Amino acid sequence: MIVISSANGKEYKVEIEAVQANDYKSITKSRYFFDWKKEQSQEVYKIKIVGSSDILGLVSVERIPEEWRIHIRLITVSKENKGSDKEYENIAGNLITFISKIAVREYGELACVSLKPKGAIAQHYIDKFGMNITGMTLSVEIEEILELINTYDYD
Amino acid sequence: MIKEKNKFKEIEGAEFGVDSRYTSKKKQLDDGKALMEARLQRMKNLSSDKIIKAKLLQLKLKMEEFIKEPIYQEENHFTKFLTSYIDTIYSKRIDFAKDIDIDANLLSKIVNNHRKPKEDFLLRLMIHSEKTYNNICHFHKKTWYQVYFQEKLSELMANQDQWRPNVERHVKIKNLISVGD
Repeated sequence: MIVISSANGKEYKVEIEAVQANDYKSITKSRYFFDWKKEQSQEVYKIKIVGSSDILGLVSVERIPEEWRIHIRLITVSKENKGSDKEYENIAGNLITFISKIAVREYGELACVSLKPKGAIAQHYIDKFGMNITGMTLSVEIEEILELINTYDYD
Repeated sequence: MIKEKNKFKEIEGAEFGVDSRYTSKKKQLDDGKALMEARLQRMKNLSSDKIIKAKLLQLKLKMEEFIKEPIYQEENHFTKFLTSYIDTIYSKRIDFAKDIDIDANLLSKIVNNHRKPKEDFLLRLMIHSEKTYNNICHFHKKTWYQVYFQEKLSELMANQDQWRPNVERHVKIKNLISVGD
């Protein structure tokens, strides 16, 4: 997986791994928009450029095996990667693809990743990640997951 | 106008964060039920080709997970993955044996753990997988080899009490180097 520098188009390899207890010291609300300390008991992952310790984005999830589904509880990019003057492209896409791969590994063709963005944000997720809409819930299932992997995952 | 401006701002920063935590278990169950109904409808249109792709992707991800964090269990992971691979693509295992030009009896013995796969078999499996995964996702050439040797290694380390006493009798070092003297 890679992120692309908005400044020069240069590509950087990224890695996504579980957040460790000592990471929470640097995961502040002012930089990552939510109180991530409240998510400490959940399954939380961080994305960073290989060789760097700076966290570019975070996602916390809940596995719902009886529905072959993983629900995204919180997802964010760091403050520097918000909006039109963001430093890197693809952060959220990589995080969603990573969670989708876990879902496929666990649930095969029944895999589903869901989230519930509010308001206009939902349309962005539908347009950008090809998400299905059911009521207020957005989801990617196997067709969309295969597309996401083709787009974001080169590993 | 103000409303439009705010809307644009929201979309522009859309990826900065989504909080979609459920406020209650009931809400989660209700949403899950509605979502499941919609998913089942969508799954009806899922082609058998896509299902096979999904199963092969799942197999690849499971193998990668095993390589990263091998677990030693009584079951043989290599043959479990191999069986899953063959049975996902072929309705008869004999057809796979034909495609990689090996005897069907030999394949049966490998699949049932009565014979270890030789290099020829592993190499043909590697090329077969490369071709199979070509239109699905990237598949590392070394995956089958890594699974096979990772399992051997895990097995060896887990069973040290069985082989070590006998092997240690054959190992003597006359001039043992001591560090720190």
